Amino acid sequence: MNTDAIKELLYKMGDDAFILGHRNSEWTGIAPTLEEDISFSSVAQDQIGHALAVYTILHETLGEPTPDFIGFTRNESDFRCSHLVELPNGEYDFSLIRHFLFDHAEMLRYRALTQSTYTPLAQLAGKIIGELKYHILHANTWVRQLGNATEEAKARLQSSLNELMPYALGMFEPGPNEQALIEDGVFIGEEALKAQWLQSIEAVIRQTQLKLPDITTLTPVYGGRYGYHTEYLQPLLYEMTEVFRIDESAEW
Amino acid sequence: MSSLDPRINRLDLVKTLEAEDIAQHQHWETYEVFVQAKRGGHHTHVGSLHAADHDMALIFAKEQFARRGQCHNLWVVKTSDVYALDTEDADMFADNNEKKYRNPGGFKVSDKITAYKKAQKQDKTETDD
Amino acid sequence: MYGGGYIYDPESKNQATIVEDPEMLAAFEAKIDRGEKIEPTDWMPYEYRRQLIRMIEQHAHSEIIGALPEGTWITRAPGFKRKMALIAKVQDEIGHGQLLYAAAETLGKSREQMLNDLMSGKSKYSNVFNYPAKTWADVTVIGFLIDAGAIINQLANSKGSYAPYCRALKRICAEESFHLKQGYEGFVYLATGTPTQRTMLQDAVNRWWPPIMHFFGPADKVSVHTEKLMRWQVKMDTNDNMRNEFLEQYVPKIWELGITIPDPKLRKNLETGRWEYTEPDWDEFFRVINGNGPCNKERLDVRRWVEESGRWVRQALYKPNEMYKMPLA
Repeated sequence: MNTDAIKELLYKMGDDAFILGHRNSEWTGIAPTLEEDISFSSVAQDQIGHALAVYTILHETLGEPTPDFIGFTRNESDFRCSHLVELPNGEYDFSLIRHFLFDHAEMLRYRALTQSTYTPLAQLAGKIIGELKYHILHANTWVRQLGNATEEAKARLQSSLNELMPYALGMFEPGPNEQALIEDGVFIGEEALKAQWLQSIEAVIRQTQLKLPDITTLTPVYGGRYGYHTEYLQPLLYEMTEVFRIDESAEW
Repeated sequence: MSSLDPRINRLDLVKTLEAEDIAQHQHWETYEVFVQAKRGGHHTHVGSLHAADHDMALIFAKEQFARRGQCHNLWVVKTSDVYALDTEDADMFADNNEKKYRNPGGFKVSDKITAYKKAQKQDKTETDD
Repeated sequence: MYGGGYIYDPESKNQATIVEDPEMLAAFEAKIDRGEKIEPTDWMPYEYRRQLIRMIEQHAHSEIIGALPEGTWITRAPGFKRKMALIAKVQDEIGHGQLLYAAAETLGKSREQMLNDLMSGKSKYSNVFNYPAKTWADVTVIGFLIDAGAIINQLANSKGSYAPYCRALKRICAEESFHLKQGYEGFVYLATGTPTQRTMLQDAVNRWWPPIMHFFGPADKVSVHTEKLMRWQVKMDTNDNMRNEFLEQYVPKIWELGITIPDPKLRKNLETGRWEYTEPDWDEFFRVINGNGPCNKERLDVRRWVEESGRWVRQALYKPNEMYKMPLA
C-alpha cells in the first residue's frame, strides 16, 4: 500500500476535524440557549476526539510523532485542513451551516471508509459512525427549523450558505496522491464523495425555504490540502499552542 | 475592555448595550425527559428541558441527559401534556397495603393444610388402633 | 461548581411580617422532621419558597457564569487530554446550570425571569467568579480547589428538604467528582513539573487563596432567620463549618506537594480540631458582591451578549400560542 497516500489522507482528515472542533469549542459557554450549548459542545468534543484518533493511527502505525506533537507543534504550512474549517465562527447561523456542510461530508467519508482496505481506518470508521449520526441529526434539525422560520432566520441561513458553499466545495480538493488511494481501495476519492454529499445536503435543504447555490457557478476554494491557508489559521495555531509552547517537553 | 479570554475578545460586545429584558417564554416551552437505560427496562423520568419542539427536545435530551453512562432510548413529552395527581392527596394510597385480598400475602392456606394433615394422621392412627 | 452558604438577599428584612397558617406550617415542619422531602406541588411557607428560589437561582447563575473564567483557557489548553477535558468540564457547568434553573422553575420563577435578574444585577452568583483566570495554572487551581469547595457545599445541600434540588444535586455531585479529579491531576502535574510550571502554580494559588477563603461566605449570624432555614433544611450547615471541612480535606493535599499557602496564621489547632486562619477581608467580599470586583462587568457583559446574539434564534422558533407550563419535577 502507498504509505504516503495514506498519510496524506489521514493528515487532511485529522486536521479538518481538529481545527473545526477547536473553532466549535469557542461556543462552549456562550451558545444561544443552555441546551444547545451542551449539544454543540459535544459536537466540538467529538471532532477533536476524531482528530486525536486519526493522529493516533499516524503515530502508532505509520511512525509519525505523538498526537500532541502533531496537533500542537507543527507549522501552519504542515497543516492540510481545508479553508472551510479555518474561518472564524461568525454568528450562530454561520457556525451552524458550517457544521451542517462539514458533518454531512464527514459522515459520508467515514461511511465509505468502513469499506477501506486500510484496516485501522476501517475500524475507526466503524467506531465513530454513531457519533456522526448524532451530528447529522443535530445539524439537520436546526437547519430544518430555522430554514422554515422567520424572515430573519431564513435570510441569515441563506447568506451563510451562500458564503460558505465555495469553501465547502474546497473540502473535496484532491490531494497529490488521490489516484493511489482510489486504486488501492483505501478511499473512494473526493470526487465520488462530493457527489454523495451534494445529494445528501440537497435532500435536507429541499425541506426548507432555503436555496442551494448553483455549484456550477462557484469556484471551489482550494489550497488547504497543499499547505496553503487563509490568514486565519496562523493566529489560531498561535493561540492554541500558547501554553504548550511554554515548554514543549513538559507534561501538562 | 480587553478580556483575558481570546474568545471573548472576538465577540462583538457592543451588542450588550442593546440588551433588553428577555420576554416571557422566549426560551421556549418545556419537555420532560425519560431515559431507558437498557433495552428491556422502563423509561425513567430524569429531568426537563427547554426546546422549540419535540425534534429539538430529543437532540437536546440526548446530550443533556445521556452524554455519560448508559442509555438505550429516550422519550420526551411536553410538560403541558403530563397529568399528575396532587401530591397532597397521597393519603389516597395510604391503606392500599391493608387490602390483603389484593396481595399474595393475603392468601394463607398452610395452616389449613397442616391442620388437615394432622387430623388425617390422627384419624389414621385411631383406625389402625 | 459552586459554593457558599452566603445567599445575597437584600429583602430578607421585609419578610418577617408574613404570617403562615399555623396548622399548615406545623404539618409542613412535621413532614421535614420525619425526613420526608418536599415536592413542588406541596404546600410550603412563603419564606421557604422565596429562600429556595434565591438559593437555587444563585447556584444556577454561578454555574453559567463560572463557565466563563474557566472557558478563558478552552482555546489554549495544552494537549489533547487537557483540551477535551476542559471543554467537557465547562460543558458540565452549563449542564448544571440547566438542571438548576429547571429545579428553581418548579418553584414558580421562569428561566427568563431568572436570566433577566442575573443581567440586571438583581440576583447574584458566587463571588469567586468575579476574579480573572490569568494563566493556565489558574484553571487548574479553580478545577481543583473551587470544585473541591463546591462539592462540600453541594453534598451538604443534596441532603436538604426540597426534592427537585436534591435530585439535581445528586447528578451534579457525581459530575463534580470528575471535575475534582481532572483539576487535581492538572494541579499535581504542574506541582511536580518543571520549575516554570511550579512557579505558575504557586502564583495562581497565591492569587486564588483570598477568594477561596471568601468562598463559603462570612460566619453565619446567629438569628431566628438562620435557625428557621436550618430547621427547614434549606441551609444544611454553617459557613464556618464548611470552610473548616474544606481546609481539613485539602490543605494537606496542597502542602504535601510543597506548594505554600499565603496565610502565615493557617494551621490546625490540635486541641480544638479546627483550623485557624487570618480572618478574610470581608469588606473586599462585599465590595465585589456589589459589583466592584475585577471581572463583574465582563461577566455580565458576556451574559448579555449571549442573550442578545441568541435572540434571533429564540425568536425564530417562538410559538406565542403554546400552552406554557413550569417543569414538573
